[in-house]
Amino acid sequence: MKKILNYLLPPRKWVPFVIVAVGIGTGLFAYLLYVSNAVSYLSDDPKTCVNCHVMMPFYATWQHSSHARVTTCNDCHVPHNNVFNKYFFKAKDGIYHATVFTWRAEPQVIHIKEAGTDVVQKNCQRCHGDLNANVSTNGVTLESKKHGEGKLCWDCHREVPHGKVNSLSSVPNARVPLLESPIPEWLQKQTDSTAIAKQKKTDQIKENKN
Amino acid sequence: MKRKPWLGWVMFGITMLVVFMLGLLVNSVMERRTEALFVNKVLAPVGEFESKNEVWGANYPREFQTYYETADTTFSSKYGGGKMRDMLHEDPRMVILWAGYAFAKDYNQGRGHFYALEDIYNTLRTGAPKGPQDGPQPASCWVCKSPDVPRMMDKLGIDEFYKQTWAALGSEIVNPIGCADCHDSKTMNLKITRPALIEAFKEQGKDITKATHNEMRSLVCAQCHVEYYFDKKSVEGAAKVKFPWKNGMTVENMEKYYDDIEFSDFTHALSKAPILKAQHPDYEIHQMGIHGQRGVSCADCHMPYKSEGGQKFTDHKIQSPLNNVANSCQVCHREEEKTLVANVNERQDKIYQVRIELEDQLVKAHLEAKLAWEKGATEAQMKNILQLIRQSQWRWDFTAASHGGSFHAPLETARVISNGLNKAAEARIALSKVLASLGQTGPIQYPDLSTKAKAQQYIGLDMSKERANKAEFKKTVLPKWLEEAKKK
Repeated sequence: MKKILNYLLPPRKWVPFVIVAVGIGTGLFAYLLYVSNAVSYLSDDPKTCVNCHVMMPFYATWQHSSHARVTTCNDCHVPHNNVFNKYFFKAKDGIYHATVFTWRAEPQVIHIKEAGTDVVQKNCQRCHGDLNANVSTNGVTLESKKHGEGKLCWDCHREVPHGKVNSLSSVPNARVPLLESPIPEWLQKQTDSTAIAKQKKTDQIKENKN
Repeated sequence: MKRKPWLGWVMFGITMLVVFMLGLLVNSVMERRTEALFVNKVLAPVGEFESKNEVWGANYPREFQTYYETADTTFSSKYGGGKMRDMLHEDPRMVILWAGYAFAKDYNQGRGHFYALEDIYNTLRTGAPKGPQDGPQPASCWVCKSPDVPRMMDKLGIDEFYKQTWAALGSEIVNPIGCADCHDSKTMNLKITRPALIEAFKEQGKDITKATHNEMRSLVCAQCHVEYYFDKKSVEGAAKVKFPWKNGMTVENMEKYYDDIEFSDFTHALSKAPILKAQHPDYEIHQMGIHGQRGVSCADCHMPYKSEGGQKFTDHKIQSPLNNVANSCQVCHREEEKTLVANVNERQDKIYQVRIELEDQLVKAHLEAKLAWEKGATEAQMKNILQLIRQSQWRWDFTAASHGGSFHAPLETARVISNGLNKAAEARIALSKVLASLGQTGPIQYPDLSTKAKAQQYIGLDMSKERANKAEFKKTVLPKWLEEAKKK
């Protein structure tokens, strides 16, 4: 162990340069976390999901649905059987989403994948068990559907909750909480020439009034 | 390292490559973040305080077209809808209840936002001003009628705006309620443009800028659909629109507020009671009902999503949800449309029934008070009675003035009416004692007030003169306003 460490350690003369180089790398990585709003992905806030604008239609349609007052995205779209599974699924999904988004490979109409289907179906059951008891859909999973035993909830409830229309351009004017500029306010004030001009104008108006 | 100097270069290269790629990734994140700014790019820029709805409409044709559908007056529900209805004709009791106030002249069921200006020109309540300094009403009456209001408030200053008369701004306020009333011209986000609501929040120690998006979908409506009064004390010569929310939003909270500042809207022409006129406390009552408590916003039912050509957008035809049950009620309630409408009507019928009972009691109380004065009652004898009449009528008007209050919060509305009935009963018991002491025995003769015309005649309104003046105003002054506005 020590040997490997010794081998990797730079010669004494290099140390300052290496420290600087590692610092640059770390700083850039920290900036990546900041600009991608990475910390927010630990939360359950639906706002997080519209960090990427492709999710706008889904946020907007959910927000206008009967589920809006009682659920967040994660209530349906991540597993709730235990906390490890939840975060494992989140990470897996997140990395997949991030990759697709980075490569600009998102389709015009996003369809849910198998793993997601399974999770959502289980979450329907999690809340609506008593309703399911009235029809013969209790305990239907993706697995059993594949064997021709029963149907998934949204095979019938086709509009719940996102409606039938959900291409990327289906809600062109939706008001969703998109990310603000990453530049902090104090810096913006310093660099925004129009803000300074506006301030001057209001000051002038006030002076004229007095 | 000493023996293999090239190894150093390899490490340098790898590090450089990693940092370079990391930089590329960061750049791609930033690019995709920036895209979000262009998702909603306004193609035809809208200036700050742009009041012409058409200019905004160029960017948002669907929203704009549905907004103009508020011109549709075909729908009438049992108690509401977009059709013009003469409320005084349907219920002449109101003429008596508002005797001594302009509402006794003319009161209609409101039409869509599209008619905001046309209807304020037409109503007899704004009188027939002959020149800019003439007429009964202050500029404050414009406040809820047009996106020209924020523009003029910016131009003149807020206090200065409130100092004007209604007629003075006639040629400036020409666009009906529209885009700039609720939207920010740059970001298109929802925005509070009327100072009264911001102040009301401050008074309660709340910050309106902290409101969530969903709260904003009600708060933009709460700029106007609320109880307000004209505050003439805080700024000399100005009638500022102000909400009495300092102690809270219930009927008692607001009453306390008004009592504390010894405010009344008018002194009743028959009973001389210091009356409070309630103005549509829709937002407040909605907050006290089950939908409000569950976080359902105004827009959820009055402006639901509409689908057209594979696109969804907010339907800006603001109207009664009963004309659009499929997209409003049935988003959450899986019952038949007929059933849902019947459920709404049932609540409204029941509230209406007790409301009319309260009106009957109140009308009699006013007439009996008038009789007591005629028989020589003293101020001291009447003081408590007039206070009770004030309290009773405030409760009646609070429920009667609110559009849809009997659906928004049936329980609260029923409670308020019950309290009102109790106050009216107390007033009439006290009155009968006073009348007896003044020698009134046997039944009291009430005049025939069964129609609007009879009631208006009884309280001494010269309606033909009012109408003639209004016709004159519409023939001479109004065209001038519109002519001047066109030049601007």
